[in-house]
Amino acid sequence: MLFSTIPFLYYFLPCVLIVYFLSPRFLKNAVLLLSSLVFYGWGEPKYVILMVLSILVGYITGLLIEKNRGNKIAKIAMIAGVCISLAFLGYYKYMNFFIDNFNKITGMSIASLKIVLPIGISFYTFQIVSYMIDVYRNTTSAQRNIINLAAYITMFPQLIAGPIVRYTDIELQLRTRVHTLEKFSLGIRRFIIGLGKKILIADLLGKICTEYREVSEISVLFAWMYGIAFALQLYFDFSGYSDMAIGLGHILGFDFLENFDHPYASGSITEFWRRWHMSLGSWFRDYVYIPLGGNRVSKLRWYLNIFIVWFLTGFWHGADWSFIAWGLMFAVLLVLEKLFLGKFLKKHKIIAHIYVPFFTMISFILFNASNTPAALAGESAFAIAWRDIISLFGAGGIPLVSAEALYYLRSYAMVYLMAIIGATPALKCAVKFIKNKKYGEMVINAIEPIVMLALLVVITAFIVDSTFSPFLYFRF
Amino acid sequence: MNSKTKDLVQTLLIALFVFGFAFWCWFKPNSEYSNTERRTLDKLPELTLSSVSEGAFMDSFEGYATDQFPLRDTFRTIKAFSAYYFYNFLDNNDVYIYGDVIGKTEYPMKEEQLISASNKFNYIYNTYMKDKNTNVYLSIIPDKNAFIAKESGHLSMDYKEAVDVVKNNTRFASYIDIYDLLSIDDYYNTDTHWRQEKIIDVSERLAESMGTTLISDYKENVLDHDFYGVYFGQAALPIKPDTLKYLTNDIIDDCTVYTFDSKGELVESGVYNMEKAFGNDPYEIFLHGSQSIIKINNTNATTEKELVIFRDSFGSSLTPLLISGYRSITVIDIRYVSSLQLGIFMNQGMIDTFDNKDVLFIYSTLVLNNSGQLK
Repeated sequence: MLFSTIPFLYYFLPCVLIVYFLSPRFLKNAVLLLSSLVFYGWGEPKYVILMVLSILVGYITGLLIEKNRGNKIAKIAMIAGVCISLAFLGYYKYMNFFIDNFNKITGMSIASLKIVLPIGISFYTFQIVSYMIDVYRNTTSAQRNIINLAAYITMFPQLIAGPIVRYTDIELQLRTRVHTLEKFSLGIRRFIIGLGKKILIADLLGKICTEYREVSEISVLFAWMYGIAFALQLYFDFSGYSDMAIGLGHILGFDFLENFDHPYASGSITEFWRRWHMSLGSWFRDYVYIPLGGNRVSKLRWYLNIFIVWFLTGFWHGADWSFIAWGLMFAVLLVLEKLFLGKFLKKHKIIAHIYVPFFTMISFILFNASNTPAALAGESAFAIAWRDIISLFGAGGIPLVSAEALYYLRSYAMVYLMAIIGATPALKCAVKFIKNKKYGEMVINAIEPIVMLALLVVITAFIVDSTFSPFLYFRF
Repeated sequence: MNSKTKDLVQTLLIALFVFGFAFWCWFKPNSEYSNTERRTLDKLPELTLSSVSEGAFMDSFEGYATDQFPLRDTFRTIKAFSAYYFYNFLDNNDVYIYGDVIGKTEYPMKEEQLISASNKFNYIYNTYMKDKNTNVYLSIIPDKNAFIAKESGHLSMDYKEAVDVVKNNTRFASYIDIYDLLSIDDYYNTDTHWRQEKIIDVSERLAESMGTTLISDYKENVLDHDFYGVYFGQAALPIKPDTLKYLTNDIIDDCTVYTFDSKGELVESGVYNMEKAFGNDPYEIFLHGSQSIIKINNTNATTEKELVIFRDSFGSSLTPLLISGYRSITVIDIRYVSSLQLGIFMNQGMIDTFDNKDVLFIYSTLVLNNSGQLK
């Protein structure tokens, strides 16, 4: 089920909130679990069993580790639990990728499996893996109540597109969270802002991207419009989803960690990845990078560690070489920044603020290539990405502008403007500035409920009028 | 307002809105049909074990919930207002406003669709008319975009090129150009179609080109209620409605019209179906709306000439103006009857033969550019 649909907003969510807040405290996690299973089963009825199996693996592994703490069995249990969880992910997400490549290398023709990627498997698998490792590391104790553990893993606000919530961050809240009016109101605001980011910005930018693939004549201008639109769409789509997840968490009494912090305002790629999908970045840092030795090794090994982490980050995003190349592209940039580029960028702020959006845009063109109609029809994602990238520079004799590009630029100028301003901390700073003025906070407090209601009305209007538009990060 | 009050007001406002609409959604009786969108609304899907396990129920439920959402038209209007006046979009779902006129972008020109339409016409000509004494004509009706898209800054196909594509692929027909006779004033503001009272010159040009003479002396009748065309609902904005006029004279009044009813039985009636004036689409008063085959007999004819028109809905308002020049007109809409099955109707007597007849293929660019609907 998608957050940005009528069934979620006006059927599922009101029902869940009524039952949840009427339930006594000891039943709240059970209500949450049941709601989450319905939420997941709504879109993936057949894969509920797979998710339950994964949870059981995590639960049993946790108990085994706890029981055998200090001896070899704990390590074996942890390794086995992680391997089983990753095997589920490997089978459903990567098996056809492996078969395809095996066929290419050997010349054999093993048939691809008819597998549909279960929604959210990448996210909940990482949560289960982190839980098992954390229990093994003794940073937390095993959860004996399976309902609590299952409620954590399946929690519908963050189940299918993150943020990747760590068990250690939420363990206490599973037992003793507080529900307050302030938190509820904060959650409402955060949820509506996230929904607005998705419906009122990301989906509209998505139309530019769709048009780019359908126009009769590509031009340099349209190629740039596409590159910028997709980079912004991805940000507003994904950060909007994270806002909604965090907002729903607040409503239900939880505090999830932030997942985005205006990444396009970064002065380097290193900083960009500290601000973009922070929960994934910190997951790879804590469970891959640091165990590999992090930066406390020789320089060469350090760089290798960076390449390993970014190879895996790319691969996590999708079972295609283009995603791996996307990850490795960031590895190259990060190593260059560590070698010399970082110092240069610190001294040349303007160049830094051109460099970051430009290379992230290029990376996202590559990122999106495997999801285009041409790729689905069998064309190589690399060929598509290459064509899109060289179009930015007018290669292939394409015109500088076209009637279509000018039309969509004029029509979507406001969306671009909103997106560009919204991607910077400008709005946040403006609100802070007003709040610091005399009566500023009072004015903001008076306006906020009206703005939120108006936003919800307009969002509902767009949903009622629109066709289905899934979140981009669901395919991971 | 302090933060605590704000939290309370915000929570109450949003809760009232969400729960209010939620309860309304849950308990509101379902609507069958949307008059503004002119379509049947989705119904609650069947809830069975298999429909749930296969996900079919959930897939359909979203369409149902969105279609049946309370105040759907009001929300569509809010969206349209936001699109036009906040975002400054040049169109909303391809629909745009230019003055009092509502247009819908028809872009780009789809050459393969135009060729496909031409191939259909070729098939009909080769199968039924090739070795007959048939005078075949072709005319193309430009849609509204031809007159307003460019000047209002919207994307517009090259209409001359579109006409050339069809002309070059239907060389068996003599082309009758009517473009110069039309302007945006000849079309309804809120509908796709042209106004019957504005196309008398078009009917005369066609008649002259086909070697017949019309009696263009008409009485102008006005429908006594406003006409909201198909674009009105799509635009979802408060636009002034149109006035629908229809032309009559003794010849038109005396004509007998034969159509098929829903059981496939022949029904005799008049040129205008005034019952349709109060239906979902009042434009359907012209020749009874969507009909596969219609035969019109001019009982006052002073000529032996007969005409067969292959047409889309634009032909419904044009045909009555041509009847005075013919003893009979057979009107065929291959959107509703397959061109492969025309022979069956020939056997039934609705179409006797194409021999010694004029045949006019007259289609709007809207249909030619989306010719998948032609059978």
